Amino acid sequence: MPDFLVISAELAWPLAVLLAWLAGEFIHRWTRLPRISVYGAVGFLCAQAFPDLFATDGASPVSLLANVAFGLILFELGYRINLHWLRINPWVPVSALVETFATFAVVYLIAHLWGLPSMTSLLLASLAMSTSPAGVLRVINESRSSGQVTERVQHLVAINCVLAVLVFKVIVGFWVFQTSGSLTQAISHSLIELVASALLGAIFGMIVPAVLRHLGTLARDGTVAFALVVIILVAITHAADLSPVLATLAFGLTARHRRVAFTRTVRNFGAIGELMTVLLFVFAVSTLSWNNVLFGGGLALVLLLARFVVKTASVAAFAHVGGIPWRKGVLTGIALSPMSVFVVLLLEQTKNAGIVLVDELAAVAAMTLFMEVIGPIFTQRALIMARETAQE
Amino acid sequence: MPLETFNGGTPLTMGVELELQLVSFSDYDLTASSPDLLHLLARKPFPGNVTPEITESMIEINSDVHTKHSELLAQLHEVRDTLVTAGEQLNIGIAGGGTHPFQKWVDRRIFEKPRFQQVSQLYGYLAKQFTVFGQHVHIGCANGDDALFLLHSLSRYLPHFIALSASSPFVQGGDTLFNSARLNSVFAFPMSGRAPFLLSWDEFAHSYFAKMEHTGVIKSMKDFYWDIRPKPEYGTIELRVCDTPLTVERAAALACYLQALCAYLLERKEQPPAEDDYLVYNYNRFQACRFGLDGTVVHPKTYESLSLREDILTTLRKMDPYAERLGGTAALNHLMQVTHMGSDAQYLRDQFATSGSVEGMVDAAVRRFRGRM
Repeated sequence: MPDFLVISAELAWPLAVLLAWLAGEFIHRWTRLPRISVYGAVGFLCAQAFPDLFATDGASPVSLLANVAFGLILFELGYRINLHWLRINPWVPVSALVETFATFAVVYLIAHLWGLPSMTSLLLASLAMSTSPAGVLRVINESRSSGQVTERVQHLVAINCVLAVLVFKVIVGFWVFQTSGSLTQAISHSLIELVASALLGAIFGMIVPAVLRHLGTLARDGTVAFALVVIILVAITHAADLSPVLATLAFGLTARHRRVAFTRTVRNFGAIGELMTVLLFVFAVSTLSWNNVLFGGGLALVLLLARFVVKTASVAAFAHVGGIPWRKGVLTGIALSPMSVFVVLLLEQTKNAGIVLVDELAAVAAMTLFMEVIGPIFTQRALIMARETAQE
Repeated sequence: MPLETFNGGTPLTMGVELELQLVSFSDYDLTASSPDLLHLLARKPFPGNVTPEITESMIEINSDVHTKHSELLAQLHEVRDTLVTAGEQLNIGIAGGGTHPFQKWVDRRIFEKPRFQQVSQLYGYLAKQFTVFGQHVHIGCANGDDALFLLHSLSRYLPHFIALSASSPFVQGGDTLFNSARLNSVFAFPMSGRAPFLLSWDEFAHSYFAKMEHTGVIKSMKDFYWDIRPKPEYGTIELRVCDTPLTVERAAALACYLQALCAYLLERKEQPPAEDDYLVYNYNRFQACRFGLDGTVVHPKTYESLSLREDILTTLRKMDPYAERLGGTAALNHLMQVTHMGSDAQYLRDQFATSGSVEGMVDAAVRRFRGRM
């Protein structure tokens, strides 16, 4: 007789993904809420109900798949970034810098005043800088939105993700230095990792388009080639303790500027991309524990409110000079709400390096849960209010 | 409401309207950004007129009334530069071209304006499929009778304008094998095609228009999507068969060609227009759309088969003295070049072959509109 428990463990992930997908479809049809909010809620409930079945470590296949899913999304985001625009309209990068660093400062201040140690406050602040590309891009694709809020939010997300990774890694470097006393180890966990990751992505971003051009099958094979290279990039960065975020983003960015087309008809990398997204969002919250959420809940709410206000006000402040109405500026700021998936994967990756921060940062667990479920709803509402979503 | 009086104006004045594509630099698809662009353009004076079009991925620009090629071209340059600068500030590319090669009509949004919403209600998906981009040229007429005379006399030259402006070879991601696939979208509308053969404005207004209005099918001249239609409030006839060219230079040249042709026709040296001229009208129109300059047309009076390219070249030569008098020689030289080098449709196909993608084709169209290649 087969061991019932073993079968359950093997079935747990596929069943959770199926359940999340079904729930996402039904609830989206009834309420028009973003599907990914539902995936997150289902993932969290499953993980709390059967904690043993959903326990993963950084090396588990599920974690790797989640990283690949995130890599595909980051590639797509990188591919949409137009660096030329950031030079022509400097108010877009200026607003990104202001909203990102103002968020860092305000969150650090609040956490410090709340009584958290300096290093913990700094880490919290660096994580709060980011906006989740997964949440934002999926909502944009799901609602088929286009317009200035859509355009700006994508560029702001890319910029503040890069900045968040940079600042986070530098702080982790300091943390490593403080605890181990080794400067070499500290630098290898920050600067080298960042440069090597970006470089790796950029090199692939040059080679792949060149090969595709040589083959002469850009339109037909481009998407498959890009997806395969994203998988390879994630695997390499995983094995070499580099940043998959920077590598895949740099890959997309470079490929785009080599003028190679990522065919629009396969946005989200088609059906496989959709499937990976469900897994990614279920996975992201399965790593959280109810105790941490409860313990950090109070601070998380204060920090999220502060983050929301600072980001919205900062982006809105530069709206008029940047060429859009004030209202669209406010809505762009609101659309920057999601942050969860990015944070979870960043922390998971840090865990690979032997540093466990999730328990240290109980507030992060609560912030992640709230923002995985609520963040996409804010983005969706902002796009609807901006009248940038497709008419049904 | 009866049709308004024909406001006869200065003959042979000209004005140009261009429908333009708004392209996202993120993925080279059309972007529903006309409200954003119009908001930004409203902040400072615009050197002409800019208005929304039926879907939010399009805008229309109008020139003022001009008599000379150089003045028209100077204004179109100014309009283009203003648009390109505003577009760049919003990460929007502006492009000509009769169709966007891979946009999906289902993704388009109807502009929030009562008339567009009514059209959308009436025509269903045809309204979104109408995301095609044309150039309209207005020529001033002294009176309504002259307008109808020119309208019907020009029917024989219509294929020239289709072939010279053709810039819509791709639709919904694939090569249509047409040089101007745009006109097929226009043809789906019940009030499209040719105008009824009437040469007297009185008869047109009091008999035809009044009857049509009585049927309830139409309310104003705007409801007719004819290839050439009279525009009584402006005192012009409006040629509507041209695809929006990839450059403003070609747009100005086409307007001046029409101006010279009208000057020639008004001398009434050719046989007068007749209902039978329309026997070959749809066939000639199809040849121009499908094969462009390589098409073969049938002369409506002699039934002789003509190479469209040769017929254009002969006509251009015949128009030389008229163009010279009107200051449009450079315009005709430009079109002479087109007959040798190929149309914009040919250029777009070449770009597809070089870049390997439809996105590369859009990128090339955006750069060509800027006049930087």
